[in-house]
Amino acid sequence: MARIGVFICHCGTNIAGTVNIPEVVEAAKKMPQVVYAEDNRFTCSEPGQASIREAIKEYQLNRVVIGACSPRMHESTFRRTLAEAGLNPYLLEMGNIREHCSWAHTDKGAATEKAIDLLKMAVARVAWHEPLFPRQTGLTKRALVIGGGIAGIQASLDIADAGYEVVLVEREPSIGGRMAQLDKTFPTLDCSACILTPRMTQVGQHPNIKLLSYSELDEVSGYVGNFKVKIRRKARYIDETKCTGCGECATVCPVEVESEFNEGLGKRKAAYIPFPQAVPNKYVIDKRGYPPCRVACPAGVNAQGYVALISQGKFKEALEVVRRTMPFPAVCGRVCNHPCELDCERGTVDEPIAIRALKRFIADYELKAGREKPTPPSRTKEEKVAIIGSGPAGLACAYDLVREGYPVTVFEALPQPGGLLRYGIPEYRLPQEVLDDEIKYIQEMGVEIRTNSPVKDLGQIFNQGYGAIFLGTGAPTSQKMGIPGEDAPGVRHALDFLRRVNAGEKVTVGDRVAVIGGGNAAIDASRVALRLGAKEVFIVYRRSRAEMPAQKTEIEEAEREGVKINLLAAPTKVLTRDGKLTGIECIRMELGEPDASGRRRPIPVKGSEFTMDVDNVIIAVGQALDKEALPKDLAYTAWGTLQVEQTTLQTNIDGVFAGGDAVSGPAGVIEAIAAGKEAAISIDRYLRGLDLAEGRPQALKKVEKVSKEGVETKPRKSMPLLDVGKRGGSLAEVELGFDEKTAIEEANRCLSCAVCSDCRECEKVCEAEAIYHERGEELIEEEVGAIIVASGVKPLDHTLFPEYGGGKYADVIGALQLERMMSAAGPTGGEVLRPSNGAHPKTVVFISCVGSRDERTGKDYCSRVCCMYMAKHAILLKEHDPETQSYIFYTDLRGPGGKMFEQFMWRAERKAGAIYLRGRISDVYQKDGRLMVSGEDQERNEPVEIAADLVVLATGLMPSDGAAELARTLNISYDVKNFMLEAHPKLRPVETNTDGIFLAGAAVAPFDIPECVAQGGGAAAKVLSLFGHDTITTEPTTAMVDALRCIGCLLCTQVCPFSAIDPELTRDGRTIAAINETLCKGCGLCVAACRPGAVNLRGFSDQQLLAEVKSLWQ
Amino acid sequence: MAVEYQPRMVGFLCNWCSYAGADMAGTSRMTYPPNIRIIRVPCSGRVDPLLVMKSFEQGADGVLVSGCHPGDCHYTEGNYHARRRFALLRSLLDFLGIEKERLRVEWVSASEGGRFKELVSSFTEELQRLGPRSEVSP
Repeated sequence: MARIGVFICHCGTNIAGTVNIPEVVEAAKKMPQVVYAEDNRFTCSEPGQASIREAIKEYQLNRVVIGACSPRMHESTFRRTLAEAGLNPYLLEMGNIREHCSWAHTDKGAATEKAIDLLKMAVARVAWHEPLFPRQTGLTKRALVIGGGIAGIQASLDIADAGYEVVLVEREPSIGGRMAQLDKTFPTLDCSACILTPRMTQVGQHPNIKLLSYSELDEVSGYVGNFKVKIRRKARYIDETKCTGCGECATVCPVEVESEFNEGLGKRKAAYIPFPQAVPNKYVIDKRGYPPCRVACPAGVNAQGYVALISQGKFKEALEVVRRTMPFPAVCGRVCNHPCELDCERGTVDEPIAIRALKRFIADYELKAGREKPTPPSRTKEEKVAIIGSGPAGLACAYDLVREGYPVTVFEALPQPGGLLRYGIPEYRLPQEVLDDEIKYIQEMGVEIRTNSPVKDLGQIFNQGYGAIFLGTGAPTSQKMGIPGEDAPGVRHALDFLRRVNAGEKVTVGDRVAVIGGGNAAIDASRVALRLGAKEVFIVYRRSRAEMPAQKTEIEEAEREGVKINLLAAPTKVLTRDGKLTGIECIRMELGEPDASGRRRPIPVKGSEFTMDVDNVIIAVGQALDKEALPKDLAYTAWGTLQVEQTTLQTNIDGVFAGGDAVSGPAGVIEAIAAGKEAAISIDRYLRGLDLAEGRPQALKKVEKVSKEGVETKPRKSMPLLDVGKRGGSLAEVELGFDEKTAIEEANRCLSCAVCSDCRECEKVCEAEAIYHERGEELIEEEVGAIIVASGVKPLDHTLFPEYGGGKYADVIGALQLERMMSAAGPTGGEVLRPSNGAHPKTVVFISCVGSRDERTGKDYCSRVCCMYMAKHAILLKEHDPETQSYIFYTDLRGPGGKMFEQFMWRAERKAGAIYLRGRISDVYQKDGRLMVSGEDQERNEPVEIAADLVVLATGLMPSDGAAELARTLNISYDVKNFMLEAHPKLRPVETNTDGIFLAGAAVAPFDIPECVAQGGGAAAKVLSLFGHDTITTEPTTAMVDALRCIGCLLCTQVCPFSAIDPELTRDGRTIAAINETLCKGCGLCVAACRPGAVNLRGFSDQQLLAEVKSLWQ
Repeated sequence: MAVEYQPRMVGFLCNWCSYAGADMAGTSRMTYPPNIRIIRVPCSGRVDPLLVMKSFEQGADGVLVSGCHPGDCHYTEGNYHARRRFALLRSLLDFLGIEKERLRVEWVSASEGGRFKELVSSFTEELQRLGPRSEVSP
């Protein structure tokens, strides 16, 4: 039988003012099983507690109900009281008659009635209470501190100095936080760096601090004293243990982006430390994936890499970047269909970078300057590889394999190597000597090329000791049209025509030439025909211009040269008279539904036939494989191309691979190169006996977001061309190429999408050999007993306030930007300059409360530091330039109670002459190169307008990016503004509601530096008081299973978020659920999920909760 | 003057967010109708449908189940269980002759005293609008 005592607290007038206490006491006395009831003025006071202890003894109470404040406030206090009186502390129940009753209601009658109900519920519930016994567990005396700002630094040092290990996790490459960005601190005007950096160094050198910079918290499990945390160490690409901080990598790095540390006012390299005093003094490479250009390139040529180096005038190094992937910079620089340019992000701003022209420039530059003979890679492998066909696919494959250390021989049927590059592309597009040099380069790398060596029998090749074969035989024959008269004299096929011209044979054409087709071969043939003396050349193409597969620029140039294009027409018959060609009969076409290739199918228009009088017809309607010349036993697709396994490019014959036009049908040079490279990977794996397909195709992860902020439009440099008048009769190159200056200017338009361009210049200069471009991020695990969250704040982005000119005018800046300019180590070397023209501002206007105290932004709080830093800025501006006049528009002036704050603002006004004006700003606009700030002087009640040189927006503070996510990861509460929530706003300011997790600094609310330091110290003290114990008492309110009722459905195991329930075999062979009390956190999900009602939760059992419900309204 | 109908309400509030949010309302002296009786539970996911139905049986005119906002659950996912469970229960209430509006499932964080006040006020008004429960309902 329960003997319940009820104790009702007046809490001064907090409860007694609204609730009729005597009435409640009388009601309590009549409640079931209540043997005693009394009231106290302050139950939590020592006399109040003593009274409970005495009553327990005197009335032999075995259950206690206290009607007072929230159990979240004093439950632990009164549990101790019970324990002192010899009762189990868990035989207590509290009725929350203050927060939930007297404070929330004004009607005394209703509040009293509610208070009685709340106590009735508590009495009903406490009868079901059972003694509970907390468990003791060990603890790991190591702390995790999240955030390396001044609060985190202080907390880390305090804990470390006390002799415990600290893991300090900082997201940025360096610790220091916001304080490191400040020039001076108010109100003392200490140099921020001078007082901060010694502390940073201390952290860096402390034997008890494990500093993990450039890292983020990924996952937390466990509980107070026994947390397991996973930390994501972001890919730094530089080995911290090896990096000496010499900075050579940054010196050679060609990529510059806006410096976050300098608030976008200066630049930093892709390889960088945020500021010179960074701790750790270890560089980071900012790599954000692969640039769109590189992802678009079938062969993965690193365009951003060589473009970046060109922008720095490093042409030789740029060429190295191309050759790291493939050996045809000059060829591709001329004839590539440049998918890279189509995907170039710059194209979304104005026009894509002229990537192809830039590549050609570096190749030409070397050709002109003379090239050093490359050192052939050492031959590390024995198995020989045979490549059949010396087109781009074959040579690219050979180039990759020879660099892998294989002996490679290329067999070419024709007298000269190069395949279609040599025989299919006219000289005015690709001069022979350019091609010769690139092939020579490949030979110098160690590739043996045997010309005039057709291969008919693959078996023979294998017999000669070759371990693998690549077929890159292309699609060298022209397709026929299948119309009457096609074999008449005077009808030629484009490839044959071009081959003979390129081979130097004497080829003549008639006056009027018709070229059939719309691809590059058709354009090439028509332009060559003109150059050979044809008076008129017509292209006949059956679809419209939009469907022409030829490159757009090529079509345009052909037309400029005089080629006429007859669209939507197809030849039906070649006309001859006396065995001589006289013309062609064509029919008009119209476009129907799209066909399999996605292009609209041309349909002949009945009765629309017409004839064209021509002397020659050149057919360029497609290319096919020369099956006659190919070895036997190969499998073909329905399209007549070689059949290969798509990923590995292996043919039906073991050890034989194929790629390029022979597999894909006619395609671009870069596609052929890509195929050759893929085949090289397969061949290497094949010869080493590895799985061919594993991990392929390897997709490059494209960079997700490219910043285009502040990019000014600048047109793409156009390619200089040979005058049309000079082109006839000669095969001289039409495109003339960029000069050095043009190339550098064009390269500087690059947006550096991936930031690090992967040019690898840093690798060359790093003497410590600390650079690892391939090394990814890493997840590490740490065990800690306590966690301090010091994730800090950031200023609101001033560009979000166009009403004050933010983001609209360059001379409207954020306060932190001004701070960076004032810093001697800042982007302007300590000079305050107008961003628009670099002049010293004479009139500076500050606008306060930008974004804070503003319900529209959702930041209705005061950011606390702005009034003081505006005063600081006004004083410093005067010091920097005595002629500066500052105006400060304020809403209210708030020196938040700090020491010397008030006096500091006087100093700004009286000594530095700052003019304080109370009032809001109505408009900021530009006039005659100055910024007109108009507003209201509320004290004089008149409008004011000030012509300013610089407007500084005192933007408020908000929690750092990702604060809410961090709170969720840690399972701690945060408010609607994403500030972390304290366990109690007054009494537990550095604790959270989760045991073992503490708060420090501005993650909680806007604080200034001394407050952050105090909080850091406070949080450290909490951790240390935890570490002062050798065991931790854990809540006994865990789940339990009634083994007799459990039916073993194990639904509870599925809902348990902590994997705290496992199946267990009973002695009689039944499976039941068993709770692991160490893991159980007492959420009760299993109880609600349990069908037979076998699971119950100590302290929140079904009986206890039902008793509360059933006590109501009786 | 006719006495305004006073509905009876039970609130099952999770310890970490909503109970603390109700505390916050009181601490901030936000007033709301005194009709609700709050029962503290560790998590909204602990609230068995049985507790809700027993509350109705006991004579409650409205039941509030409140937990942490989605994604903020102290136990990671308890409120998701609650959300599903009570979506189902609500759809069954009509069959039992209890208007489904009489069961509310809401999210209130520890800092949202104002939201708690608004919630209780609007729920009370809605229950007043609905009037007493029908005789035939359990």
